[in-house]
Formats: sequence, structure tokens, C-alpha cells
Amino acid sequence: MHIENHPILGKQLQEPVTFYFNDQPYKAYTQQSVAAALMANGVKKFGLSRKLVQSRGLFCSRGRCCSCYMTVNGEDHVRTCMTKVEEGMSVYPNLEDPEVRREKHGD
Amino acid sequence: METDVLIIGGGPAGLAAAIETATRGLDVTIVDESSSLGGQLCQQTQLIRPLPSVYQPMRGFELAKVLTEQINDFTVGTLLNHRVIGLYADGSVGLSDEEKVFPVKAKKIVVATGAAEQAVAFPKWTLPGIITIGAAQTLVNRDFVMPGKEAVIVGSSDFALDVASQLLEVGVEVKGIVEKNPAAAAREKEKTDALIGRGIPFYFNSFIKEARGNGQVEEIDIEVNGEILTVSADVVCIDGGRSPILDSFYQLGCSFGYQKELGGWIPQYNRQFKTDRENVFLAGNAAGISQQGALLLTGMIAGISICEDLQTIRSGEAEEIRDALWEELKLSEYKDVWEGRTKHIEKFSSPVLKDQFIS
Repeated sequence: MHIENHPILGKQLQEPVTFYFNDQPYKAYTQQSVAAALMANGVKKFGLSRKLVQSRGLFCSRGRCCSCYMTVNGEDHVRTCMTKVEEGMSVYPNLEDPEVRREKHGD
Repeated sequence: METDVLIIGGGPAGLAAAIETATRGLDVTIVDESSSLGGQLCQQTQLIRPLPSVYQPMRGFELAKVLTEQINDFTVGTLLNHRVIGLYADGSVGLSDEEKVFPVKAKKIVVATGAAEQAVAFPKWTLPGIITIGAAQTLVNRDFVMPGKEAVIVGSSDFALDVASQLLEVGVEVKGIVEKNPAAAAREKEKTDALIGRGIPFYFNSFIKEARGNGQVEEIDIEVNGEILTVSADVVCIDGGRSPILDSFYQLGCSFGYQKELGGWIPQYNRQFKTDRENVFLAGNAAGISQQGALLLTGMIAGISICEDLQTIRSGEAEEIRDALWEELKLSEYKDVWEGRTKHIEKFSSPVLKDQFIS
């Protein structure tokens, strides 16, 4: 849920954007991180851990723990707590290690 | 790129160092990996006190604004969304904007990288919905997002209790505060009393036995006096304390010492807030965990010392200002932290760890 009227900071959510998670549209606001935007829409599970294959989501929101890795606009392992949500952004969960050697990387 | 002073980290300490150096005519560059200056102050809605005498008491986000405005009038370059990723052989600092990497040659460096929150592990603590107390505050006050409807807080520091109140204010139900010790860790007792007054249960001598949920946390078991209490919660906030962020110090080759009161391993430094590496200074939580007001003072001391080194201020005058700032620092931080800092400074010439990596 978005906090439309913050008790101390007032009405801060001004510019709405639409972004896509698993191709489904969701509403967010420009100053929010991708991770926060997902949580506002009730999405807490961002991916799976590589070894034990357990659910993972936002943890530190400071860009240090890497628990919130997702695929954003085609790029894997993006720290979604440090990335601002943008209009039309496409987000997918981080389900496995990215393929580093891909055709588009010339390998 | 060349600059007189490169400040790594644009939080309260980095900004304080920037103000001292920029106002004395130096060319300053601040690099920060986030998209705004102010660091963790940006989402602090509680009153910050005590502050250095030049500032009125104010809320954290207001302080961030006041500090940022002070550097606007001077030649301060800010590289936001940039990270320090290493050092070049000639001592230049390598910065990256996630696409390109480029060197910055600085006469002096201030490392003000701050602190990271620590986790408290319990079975299934990695479930989504279990976040740090700082993350909960960021969601509420910076991103304007409800982290959940029902929260349990693990730990009871002053900061955790501040955030507990802020969660209540936006309508999150705080189902309880779990503390492993027999009393709240918060030093300001009125914070505990205020929450008890609002009917928030404190579970002392207690810990989380297990978290459960399908893909995200749904309920937790709290062990209270040998009995299990099951509480439904969709957000669990972990307050595990903080430790200094040391990455840049490793890269710069600084020596370290262990000081429990300052948050564990920290670089060795002297009264000038200078490390044992040529031209490398430090400030803020990276120099030992303390209160916001004290962090500003450490940044000011580092800034003054740099001005002295680069001769934009007379040595005698620098010493005078530094003495006054140290006096104020003594009054601004808790006694045990102050004593830890004093002990740490005494060990400057005999560091515990030199040329070693702490794993």
C-alpha cells in the first residue's frame, strides 16, 4: 500500500508511473525504488536463493545485502532497492544465476 | 578528473567535512552510491539531538537539507549514483557509474562510508517480509510504502523504538517488541515508556524461535520465559545494531583495531581523524558508531585537519578549532563510546591489524 498522506512529510506521491512485474502492470511513483514499488503492490518475494532455492526479498534497502536482486529491463542481478522505478519498466524475479556468456555479450 | 578533496559518502559526516573544506577555498568532490545527498538522514523524521552548537535541533531530513544547502554556494562537485570500486597504481580512486570506470586524482581523501545494519539470525530469518529496522524506516519515510500491516520488532535500541513509533503513525500495527535482555536497550527511557503507554507489548528475555510462511513471513514464534507465543506478522524488523563499512579502507590499505564500543573493527586514526595512510582521512560511523551530532563533529574535525595539511588555515588556528570540536564531541556522545574512541586513538601507533584482510 502506498502512503498517500504521510503524518509528518505530507502528500509526497505526485508523479505516478506504471511498471510491469511478470508482464502485469502495477502502479508506483517516481521517487520509489523498484523494491518499494513492488512491496506497495503486495509483492514481497523477489526471487529464489541460488543454493537452497528459498524465497528472497528486500532485506537491508541500502544496497549492501543483495537479497533484492531482480531482472530489470533485461539486466540481471540489479539491486532493486537502489534502482528508482520508471515508467514502463519491466521487472522479473531473480530465479537463478544469470547467464553471463550470452550472444549479446559477444561470447 | 582532479580535485583537492574527494569525500567518499555524502551522509552527515561527509557533508560536514565538505562544508569545512569547501568554505576554506578547497575544491571538493563528493561521491555517493545513492541518488541523493544526506545519507540515512533523509528518512529520519525523529528529532536529532544533541547537534553541534552551530545547528538548531531539527528532524533528520531537515538536517540533511540544511547540510546540503550549505555546500551549494561553494565549488563542490557531487557524483551521485557513483561507487568507489578500487584504486589505481598512482593512488587515483576508481569510480564507476555502473557503466564506465574513471579515475579521480585527489590530494586528500575522506572516507565517510557510514555503517551497515547487522542481522539477527533465527530459523527462516531470510523469508521475504523480514527486513532490517532501517529498511522499514526507509520504506515508510522515503518510499512512502507500508511495509506490512502487522509488525514485530526484534531488538529495542533507541533507533528501533523511534521507528516503531513511526510505523504506528502510518498505521502499521506493532504486535510486539522482542528483546533478548531483561530490559529495553534504548538509552532514552521515555521512548520505551511512550510505547508501553500506547499498549505495545515488550517481550523481555525473549527471542524468535522460528519464522514461518509460504513465500513470505506470515507468523513467528516468540519464546517468552520458556513458553512459545505464536504471533501473526507480515513484517518483522530486525534491529541487530550496526557495524562500520570498511571496504574503502581495505582498498586503501589502512590498519585496523578492534573497539567494541565503536562497533567492532575500525581503521586506526589519530586526533586529526587521519588514518595511517598518506592523505587518507575518515569521518562518521565509518570511524566508529555514534550519534548523529557526534558524526557531524568527526566530519568537521577531518575537514579542519585537511585544511591544515593543505595550508588554507594556519596550524595554530586549526589546532584551536580542533580542540574545541573534540571538547564538543566528548559532550555529544555516550560515555562508553567516548571512552572507546579515546582508547582507540591511543593505539594509533601500534595497530592490531596491518596489511591483513579481516574476513
